Amino acid sequence: MHYLESIFKVLVVGLLLGAGLPALFATGMLAYSFGAGGEEADHVIHKPNPPLKYLGIFLFLFVAFVIVTAVAWITRATIMHHFGIDLFPMFPKK
Amino acid sequence: MIILVLLIATALAFDFTNGFHDTGNAMATSIATRALKPKTAVLLAGVLNLVGAFLSVEVAVTVTTSVLRVQDSDTGQLLPGIDASMGLTIIFAGLIGGILWNLLTWLFGIPSSSSHALFGGLIGAGLAALGLKGVNWGGVSQKVLIPAVAAPLIAGLVAACGTWLVYRITRKVLSRRREEGFRWGQIATASLVALSHGTNDAQKTMGVIALALITTGHLTGDVKNDGLPIWIIASCALAIGLGTYLGGWRVIRTLGKGLVEIESPQGLAAEASSAAIILSSSAAGMALSTTHVATGSILGSGVGKPGAQVRWAVAGRMAVAWLVTLPAAALVGALSYWVSYLIKDLTGSRLAGDGVIFLGLVGLSLYMWWRAQQQKVDHSNVNADWDETTNSVVPADVRNKTAGGSEQAPPKATTSV
Repeated sequence: MHYLESIFKVLVVGLLLGAGLPALFATGMLAYSFGAGGEEADHVIHKPNPPLKYLGIFLFLFVAFVIVTAVAWITRATIMHHFGIDLFPMFPKK
Repeated sequence: MIILVLLIATALAFDFTNGFHDTGNAMATSIATRALKPKTAVLLAGVLNLVGAFLSVEVAVTVTTSVLRVQDSDTGQLLPGIDASMGLTIIFAGLIGGILWNLLTWLFGIPSSSSHALFGGLIGAGLAALGLKGVNWGGVSQKVLIPAVAAPLIAGLVAACGTWLVYRITRKVLSRRREEGFRWGQIATASLVALSHGTNDAQKTMGVIALALITTGHLTGDVKNDGLPIWIIASCALAIGLGTYLGGWRVIRTLGKGLVEIESPQGLAAEASSAAIILSSSAAGMALSTTHVATGSILGSGVGKPGAQVRWAVAGRMAVAWLVTLPAAALVGALSYWVSYLIKDLTGSRLAGDGVIFLGLVGLSLYMWWRAQQQKVDHSNVNADWDETTNSVVPADVRNKTAGGSEQAPPKATTSV
């Protein structure tokens, strides 16, 4: 049962990060592209919409932030070993 | 002592083949969509593998103990009844099995799992040396067989969802803009896969070397807590980085061009899925094969895109290779062990036996490398159109140039070890 459980865990995390982040990135691109204005694939010319564009940039940054955090989380032990800094002091080490 | 040096050299050679066999896992899609120039891509992957190897979180001393019953899994000390030179020969023969299988699959451009090749080689050598009791069957099914089935399925599912979502969300975005934007995302996610490959796979070789050193008493103490001597980490990192940089162009070509014709949104979804799964599974303590995950993801990205076609013939051939990898590498590992053992019996010297199988390894490796040079696949033709009539990894024009004799399958390398 233990393996089914870890397979299930990996699947859930995989779906959240592996499919969720690309979807978020795509949403960011949609917002950015429509915010920047110009003709889109539906042949409609959109007016520039700065807030939408900033929303897109924010989504890009958010995705980048999640990735950096995730990498830091995984390499936490190594970083602690070499530099003595705990990147996630709020979460106790297992 | 000489055997130990040979073994470390062989382990680093395995690490090297591991690197170039797996470059494609990270970079195939970026090369296929031309997000990165082929040379840039392999350089980036090589550097990231190097960095990743240094980031290894925990030492994988479990590599040999999870499949073999040769050493105590806590201390690395040999079990009673096994002497040091026998233990070394088992690991040595196992490594040879892994390397030869990696080279053979590379020759045919098949992305088979380097971890399975290593496990297979070790299991074969263990069986040959100790019989059924030499193999940790529970470990084999838990750490090798179950993940092997699960990995491509999970990866395919996640990548298919990701691809579908991405296309659905951006369907109104101008396609030129979409391609351009996703290329950036693709580079980022591919880099992440390369990094995680370094953290995962370089460790395996480090573990093997560490165990060999513990066996001979050159390394003592608590490796799990104190870490490894820096020269082991550095040399493994260098071997895998160099291997990745040289780039297994044949495997890259199969992954990037053979399975699915990839666009950059698919590439992004596939690499994101691979990265998420590799990283989360290693965090969950489940070692998945990078190759299985990457291949599953790329297939998934073909399934998830409406209207895309997947070359199931190529996928099927890969699946067969996956099934065969473990037994085939095991066979080579067992044969190497027997040859070494036989020569030891004849000459009375372990060194002679191990020396002969080492020379066999060098000879066969050079032969396969030479075969590959005859019909070269490199950075210049890695993206040539896929020939659907043969599904061969060698581009049609290269094959025609060297026509005559080239259509025969190379002789079975495994039989002459």
